Amino acid sequence: MQGSRPLVRVVRLGLVSYQEGLRLQQVYVDRHRSGPAHSLLLCEHPPVYTTGIRHQPYPASRLDPLRLLGAEVHRANRGGLITFHGPGQLVCYPVLDLSGFRKSVRWYVAQLEKTVVSACGSLGVTATTSPHTGVWVGDNKICAMGIHCGRYVTSHGLALNCNTDLSWFSHIVPCGIEGKGVTSLSRELRRDVSVHEATPHLLAAFGEHFHCELSEDA
Amino acid sequence: MAMRATLRCLSANFSPRLPLLSSAGRDNRAARLRWVSGTRRTFSSCSVLSTALKFTEKHEWVQVEGGIGTVGISSYAQDALGDVVYCGLPEVGQRLEQMDEFGALESVKAASELYSPLTGEVTAINTQLAENPGLVNKDCYAEGWLIKMTIEKPEEVDALMDQAAYDKFIKSLEE
Repeated sequence: MQGSRPLVRVVRLGLVSYQEGLRLQQVYVDRHRSGPAHSLLLCEHPPVYTTGIRHQPYPASRLDPLRLLGAEVHRANRGGLITFHGPGQLVCYPVLDLSGFRKSVRWYVAQLEKTVVSACGSLGVTATTSPHTGVWVGDNKICAMGIHCGRYVTSHGLALNCNTDLSWFSHIVPCGIEGKGVTSLSRELRRDVSVHEATPHLLAAFGEHFHCELSEDA
Repeated sequence: MAMRATLRCLSANFSPRLPLLSSAGRDNRAARLRWVSGTRRTFSSCSVLSTALKFTEKHEWVQVEGGIGTVGISSYAQDALGDVVYCGLPEVGQRLEQMDEFGALESVKAASELYSPLTGEVTAINTQLAENPGLVNKDCYAEGWLIKMTIEKPEEVDALMDQAAYDKFIKSLEE
């Protein structure tokens, strides 16, 4: 069908635990069973470290000390290595059926990266992509990404540092990439940039790069 | 299944650059077989149980030989994934129903699930992929095989697409 743009529903979850985020993603994933039900879940998490399907690098002995810091620790079925989620970080979980877009995980991740680069740009931060998936400002990662795709339905997504306390990242090698750092919109712009401020920029960029209509529940 | 219905809704963004790769994949496979055996007998040998590659709509291939099916992903699939950095495979001995998730491939920070093309039991997994997951991209029809399994329901193999049908299927995805 030429020219009709997919409809993506924006769902604002607010501050939810990582576990609750997983549960809600599954609810939205399951909706795709009865037809297209593209959704974009937005949330923030209390401090949590998460690992992906490559769990060998992270035995319990390596993860337990992180709990002592007051964070939760979770394994997830997404790609990517260890990362941190916490207050001040805009977490976005697009639950899309790629059959309605393009059936390529590689394409999907590239579009997500472009979305974040555009969003950063519209806020005044020049960000780039690199051979390491995610979005960077120089050698510092401003947005992490880790995706799961089953039967063309996506889950997990991206985490953009707005005014996150970056010291949480000092306890891990973020995404397993040695020698690189992390940054945030606030650090780059030297002023406080909240999740609330960044969200409309991310949504606008998403609509643009995915050629879709975004709708919000009243 | 809802999946097939949504094939109609592919957006106009889809750029048809993939056919080159699926035919390249096929050509590489054919070339390798000529090198290995000098003939194409490996695909259509005298054994009743041996078949040419069959394909699923999820872009997996199955090759049957001696009652055992070798499973991998097609060139189209490996291209759509990007460079594979990790293969999560099942345990030997695990029993799979057709369409059961049996593992995942990770590429570009995305974990993509794998679905069993047949019902049977896993008899072997490609342990080379632990050290060299990129084989799935470089040699998806040969060295990049994923699992081997028994075939409880031979009729499931018959129902899969042959090369010609699969090539047609890929073309239809690009419209």
